Amino acid sequence: MMKKLYSMLLFFCFALLTACNQTGSSTNLQELKDRDWSTIVEEANGSEVRLYMWGGDEGINEYIDDWLQPRLQEEFNMTLERVPMNTEEILQKLQTEKQADKQTGTIDIIWLNGENFKNAKDHELLAGSFTDQLPNFNKYYDNEDPAITTDFGTEVEGMEAPWGKVQFVFHYDRAKIDHPPQSFDELQQWIENNPQEFTYPAANDFTGNAFLRHLLYAKAEKPSAIYAQPFDQKQVSEAGDPMWTYLQSIQSDLWRSGEHYPNRLEELDQLYGEGEVSMTMGYNEARAESLIEEGVFPETTESFVMEPGSIGNTHFLSIPYNSPNKAGALVAINDMLSPEAQLEKLKPEVWGESSPINFDELSKSQKEQFESVDRGNSVLDQQELEETFLPEAEAEYVDWIEEEWMNELVQN
Amino acid sequence: MKYKILFYIIAGLLFVSPVFVLLLQSITTPWRFQTAQEMNVQLKSFAVLWSDPNLWTATIGSIVIGAFVLLFNFLIGITAGKALALYSFKGRTLMEALLLAPLLIPVLAVAMGLHLLMIRIGLADTWIGVTLVHLVPTVPYSIKIFHHAYSQLGKPMIEQAQILGASERKQFLTVELPLLKNAIRSVTFLTIVISLSQYAITAIIGGGSVVTLPMVFFPFLDTANPSIMAAFSVWFAAPPLLMYILIEGLLSLLPYSQTPWRNRA
Repeated sequence: MMKKLYSMLLFFCFALLTACNQTGSSTNLQELKDRDWSTIVEEANGSEVRLYMWGGDEGINEYIDDWLQPRLQEEFNMTLERVPMNTEEILQKLQTEKQADKQTGTIDIIWLNGENFKNAKDHELLAGSFTDQLPNFNKYYDNEDPAITTDFGTEVEGMEAPWGKVQFVFHYDRAKIDHPPQSFDELQQWIENNPQEFTYPAANDFTGNAFLRHLLYAKAEKPSAIYAQPFDQKQVSEAGDPMWTYLQSIQSDLWRSGEHYPNRLEELDQLYGEGEVSMTMGYNEARAESLIEEGVFPETTESFVMEPGSIGNTHFLSIPYNSPNKAGALVAINDMLSPEAQLEKLKPEVWGESSPINFDELSKSQKEQFESVDRGNSVLDQQELEETFLPEAEAEYVDWIEEEWMNELVQN
Repeated sequence: MKYKILFYIIAGLLFVSPVFVLLLQSITTPWRFQTAQEMNVQLKSFAVLWSDPNLWTATIGSIVIGAFVLLFNFLIGITAGKALALYSFKGRTLMEALLLAPLLIPVLAVAMGLHLLMIRIGLADTWIGVTLVHLVPTVPYSIKIFHHAYSQLGKPMIEQAQILGASERKQFLTVELPLLKNAIRSVTFLTIVISLSQYAITAIIGGGSVVTLPMVFFPFLDTANPSIMAAFSVWFAAPPLLMYILIEGLLSLLPYSQTPWRNRA
């Protein structure tokens, strides 16, 4: 009796195993190249587009779910589905699918930049060049701007479309600090006068590494000696030495006497929120706004940038090689690049992130709308941000800093 | 008696009070120490939680997948555990070592191979594929637990039932299952909790078509807002509790169970 039951169950399992094998393949991006935009829009009509993106910010999630989704539904009769997944897992999934030669995937749009883009491009996980097909990209974006044509030193070649732009800023509590430091030397002085009140995330953290890149820029002959140069081990060591000396000299005055560094930015943010340290930092000039509103950061939080400037980067949207709905992906990306979508994204109560759009191409009323958005007290004004903007260096610098930081600061 | 009190104190301190703090944090704004700031009650973190359109699909997805993973764990764990404990056959030690092997290799190390296999047999991006892959980190524990339980039960107990003329089915229902109750409880909790916390392999094998609770929850670990994290953690604890209560209910239907509606005389 029991045996019979088991064999039936086993059979059931195998029946399930062999069922639902999917076949078919997706349209090639090349085929869409020859069609004009209205045909592509027509093809996208009634389809489903699946957008895979990191989902850890409710402001961003709500922007997609409550604003973009209904808009695409109404204008193009398209269903946008947002799937929360970390970019590393998305790329691993695509990589394996590539290896198994799976031509019909599940992902239509991914959100990425930097090292992830480089990986995806090197392993041919992307559909190819598509930005010159997007009417909004051609009209509103400056396709010669290095912030759009390169991504952490990697040539974009039209394989990803710029969606947003962020700049690195430091945050401080106005109630505790009157005049924030203006340069790394002043910061050093401040740390010496206020021991235990400053720290930065470890070098393997995205933000911690960006902090160290600022220092590297500052200690180099001039910042462009780093970002305009391809990575060169020997050359970078020269700029590196004063950087390690600087870090070693401040170490004993850091939070917990520098014996422990926050592993991730979130830990530093929590320390700052609890009042343990007086400064934090982050790769988004407007990110303090929502944290203040949530009560995580004190209301007296403001931001500052230091000499020689603030590194900024662009993040992009791209289409995987095996997207089942490339026409839909093009239409959705085009819409996400539109001035209306970018304006909505800029509002602090929505996402508060600045736009890579070329303001010279906007109409007068559009420009006014962009300018009238009040980004909040904790955000530096646009002009200061633009004047201090520094581009990202090649992705190799990130690995080099991470490795050397371990040697120079942790093991000594 | 003295030890009992000590037990309650330690248990209260180490297990109950952290949960209480978690519950409190989930309904208050983030705490700032040494500022003499009072605690502000808020329900926004739960509002954020419930406003996520994926939350309910993810929760139900997690529970359904967890239930199937549990079912397969019972089937495989009880049969394999019984065989390993009560029958002697050639290569038993080798077999046991092989069955426990998945514990020694991190699932992530074989995730790519598993994904390739799933794509080939057409189970990638399906919930069946996810259920099967969740068996990898759970089944070894179940086998181990049931193996131990059957060893304790011992062969003579089963032989007794056989001598009295019980059919295999009756023997299983009236002798083995009631004595396996504790093992079943452990396996239930362990399996559900492990299955529920699989992020990477669920993401890769499920490919985003299968959305489970960690897929919604884990990205939020990157936020600095402790209230939202606490709210998520409270929500996260619900499926295992629910499943535990369900299994407890099913167990009370077994013969010889002490249930409120039965006389204990």
